[in-house]
Amino acid sequence: MKKTVLLFVIVAMVAVACVFWFISSGEGFSSTDMFQFSIIALILVFAIFVGYKKFSSAKRGEPTEDELSKKVLQKTAAWSYYISLYMWVAMIYIKDRMTMDTEEVLGTGILAMAVCFGVCWLIINFKGIKNE
Amino acid sequence: MNNRIKELRARYNLTQEDLAKKVNVRRETIVFLEKNKYNPSLKLAYDISKVFEAKIEDVFLFDE
Repeated sequence: MKKTVLLFVIVAMVAVACVFWFISSGEGFSSTDMFQFSIIALILVFAIFVGYKKFSSAKRGEPTEDELSKKVLQKTAAWSYYISLYMWVAMIYIKDRMTMDTEEVLGTGILAMAVCFGVCWLIINFKGIKNE
Repeated sequence: MNNRIKELRARYNLTQEDLAKKVNVRRETIVFLEKNKYNPSLKLAYDISKVFEAKIEDVFLFDE
């Protein structure tokens, strides 16, 4: 339950930081910023979904984590790490052919890693883990 | 590996939620087990068999 509360606290902090970012940027919100902003929003929605699932499990008196969820998380981490390596190679290739700041490349890369993790989690969570 | 969890659960008049609570896992895990999308650990298999008062090999059917 503590982890679920912590997850919601982090989501709230990120959301507040995004609001401050949005306010401080004023009218100078570039298309890259908009892209990053929408990815962060997507990650927040995903985090809320995961948090809600954990919260409803706790409400039913079930554990928020069990052997399946731990295995799913392990496999997701392994898959997303492997995919991220190739993604960074692609990012470096794109950076050489586009005019992008280092900060922009790093920011986009980290967000893409988070999206990659989320997509892997969804696939593994719905596909299941067999014969391992 | 196949299993008879759904059948035994119906016989013992247990919901997925009841069984999940008895073996201390999430309901989703029971759903995955019944759909044969997850092979449980030996401990979980033992706990489930204990709930149904059966041997592991009577609940979980191994393909040879």
